[in-house]
Amino acid sequence: MALYIVEADCISCGDCLPVCPTNSITEGAIVFKIDKKTCTECEGDFDIPQCVKVCPIDNCILPLEA
Amino acid sequence: MSSQEVLSRELALRIGLAARALPDTDAKRLFKVLTNCVGLPITEEKIGSINLQKLKAAEDGEFSGVDEGLLKKALHILKHDVEAGVTLKPEVYAYRNGDMPGSVRIACASNDAINVDGHFGSCSQFMIYQVSADEARLIDIRGTEAPAGLEVEDKNTFRAELIQDCQVIYMASVGGPAAAKIVKLGIHPMKLSGTEAIAGIIGQLQAVIAGTPPPWLAKIMGIEAPNRFRFEREATG
Repeated sequence: MALYIVEADCISCGDCLPVCPTNSITEGAIVFKIDKKTCTECEGDFDIPQCVKVCPIDNCILPLEA
Repeated sequence: MSSQEVLSRELALRIGLAARALPDTDAKRLFKVLTNCVGLPITEEKIGSINLQKLKAAEDGEFSGVDEGLLKKALHILKHDVEAGVTLKPEVYAYRNGDMPGSVRIACASNDAINVDGHFGSCSQFMIYQVSADEARLIDIRGTEAPAGLEVEDKNTFRAELIQDCQVIYMASVGGPAAAKIVKLGIHPMKLSGTEAIAGIIGQLQAVIAGTPPPWLAKIMGIEAPNRFRFEREATG
């Protein structure tokens, strides 16, 4: 389980980068991206995913379909 | 001040207007620099003798850090007759949908019609530009006063609705709740770190459009997804 960033909506503000407890977010060539191998959707750290909480765009960070 | 030193009404008006063209400058500051430049009384003839170098050097280089384009503009205003309204209101051009393919419509929160110097909630007008890679057209100037008799429930919602047809708004500052209302209407808010010339903002945007626009901008410009994916492969590959 992991989250992903919708490329067409991400505005590269970078707000999500520092709040990720597992350091899974990096700045990619186009927009920011989440490493699906290390993303935990913040389980064990927070009640809700922190990147989703700080992201200024609606529906920009979504759960990856398994 | 003796009668010889009295500034003509026309010149006073020009100094006031020219000061508005310069960043962080009021008429008093410009007047001080001009006085240092040519001495009192300030006359039309003396102002005619000022060039860019003189203006920059005056008052120990008070304006030496100011953008030359803006200084030239100020000098132009100082040296030419004020035609009522024209100096303040740049010409608005007609725009029909489809005139400029691959363009975005932007709003600039402005008080002086030259700079993005306004707070979203308090600026006197929105300058509306249609911008493509090689053209920028001022298509509308929208005052922010609510029409008389209209009860405005929420000022910021009213202002956001004024620019609902724009895709991006530039402003010197904006509050959080107001920004949320802007985003809700599908407009992308861009808060600058301070006052910037509208011309400069448009130049930067044109460079971005001409290059590889970021996906969110490509999306609002209506560039088809396959093209965007092509860009992605180029950028990652």
